[in-house]
Amino acid sequence: MSTTPVAAPTSERPLPIPTRESQPYWDGMREGRLMLQHCAGCGKVRHYPRPVCPHCFSMESTFKKAPTGGTIHTWTVCHHPFNFFFKASAPYIVALVDMDAGVRVNAPLRGVNEADLKIGKRVRLDFEPVNKEVTLPFFVSD
Amino acid sequence: MVHPLRETAAVSGIGETAYTRGTPKSGLALQLEASLAAIADAGLSPRDIDGVVPYFPGGGIAEDFIANLGLPDLKLSLFVPMGGATCVAAIQSAAMAVASGVCNHVLIAVGRTGYSGARVSTRLQQFPQFALAAEFEAPIGMFAPAQLYAQGARRHMALYGTTTRHFAEVAVVTRQHAILNGNVVMNKPLTVEEHHASRMISDPFRLFDCSLESDGGAAVIVSRTDRARDLRKPLVTIMGVAEGHPESPASIAQRPDLLEFGLAKAAPRAYDMAGVGPRDIDVAEIYDCFTFTVINQLELLGFCKKGEGGPFVMDGRIGLGGELPINTHGGLLSQGHVVGLNHVIELTRQLRREAGRAQVKDAEVGLVTGYGDMGDGSIAILRRAA
Ligand SMILES: [Zn+2]
Repeated sequence: MSTTPVAAPTSERPLPIPTRESQPYWDGMREGRLMLQHCAGCGKVRHYPRPVCPHCFSMESTFKKAPTGGTIHTWTVCHHPFNFFFKASAPYIVALVDMDAGVRVNAPLRGVNEADLKIGKRVRLDFEPVNKEVTLPFFVSD
Repeated sequence: MVHPLRETAAVSGIGETAYTRGTPKSGLALQLEASLAAIADAGLSPRDIDGVVPYFPGGGIAEDFIANLGLPDLKLSLFVPMGGATCVAAIQSAAMAVASGVCNHVLIAVGRTGYSGARVSTRLQQFPQFALAAEFEAPIGMFAPAQLYAQGARRHMALYGTTTRHFAEVAVVTRQHAILNGNVVMNKPLTVEEHHASRMISDPFRLFDCSLESDGGAAVIVSRTDRARDLRKPLVTIMGVAEGHPESPASIAQRPDLLEFGLAKAAPRAYDMAGVGPRDIDVAEIYDCFTFTVINQLELLGFCKKGEGGPFVMDGRIGLGGELPINTHGGLLSQGHVVGLNHVIELTRQLRREAGRAQVKDAEVGLVTGYGDMGDGSIAILRRAA
């Protein structure tokens, strides 16, 4: 796990600080692709990116483009902005999604009413560039 | 075979400061004030302390204890980096230290300025174990434990029919208990309606589902049982103690079952060590960072089946005089937030029969849990051995 220090809190948008392990994931985001880490030894997918496969202990891996569909595992609706950056968008839904690719992704779900939320609902991941380097994921109804 | 740690260590001293919102004192000063109170409660001198486990971050480190308390020969300095599971897990570490003969008296101490100092959204990122959350979840607007745990609560509701009425019951009963204790932040009654009308934080959690931000200090001393027997207060022994770590420990999102965490592994081990089961527990102090967290833990502790925690808390069952009184001091929800060391203090008081108006009649055996850091768990089972 990275121990990169995180900057002091401000009202600025919190942004990811990629590590040597996670850089290909964030590069993929920037290019509009969901890139997931696969073990070169046993082929299993893992997320979030890390150096060793917990199944076969191989340290070799490759990143492959993954399908962007999935189903809602659970969700929350964030009302209180713990970081002031999010004050403008609150309340916003964050869906935890079982991706068809076999991992979970947590991201905002847009264009869906709270009343229509349910476990198993199909959603699709999309990409939102926030600056030159960083693109973040979000979900829309599928 | 009896486990070698079973009842070889005891909680010999307890101490706490006033729990407030606002203090001119530093976290270190609060931690030391509580430590001196715990040392006096045990009838020891600060010179007798030869092991320290400070809660980090928030107060001081071992060096501060040596410098302030004049400790002549500190033999053990530990951090237990498990967030809200730290304090109860520290009891296991301390019990091991005294049982092995490395130490005689280990001090576990918390000092926190959660209200007047740094708030939750800033603290999160001081922990290396939250690096994954900082990288992958904070940028998409999932920041605070209230948000991260809300997803588990929502899933429990969807799968098992748990409702916010169940959450409210935990908040209301905990407040009733707090009112019986003179040293609490929240001392006015709370109704179900007030709970339901409180502002939404992160659905399904409302304000009164969330623990307090407060200032305060708490301390506990763990001694070898043969030494504790001769100290000031009735003997309270550690029958069983354990910590547990979940799958995907730094990310709830990637955990196969969001509702299974470290306590699921720790609880059976602690019961086994203690030689007791859920039916033997007279009183339970359950880490209550959120109302739902209590419901979830009651299931993992075996008081009810998975999914039945909501109905379990109803009908007076968890109140004083009920089948399983919980959080008899007011917990993190209503007393104060010293990372659950106040839960250990309260259980010790109950077993010493010092709990005043909140005393559970004839309490002989009780348990206390810790929960934190995205799902680490800890549990201690204590017994009145006096
Ligand atoms: Zn592998």
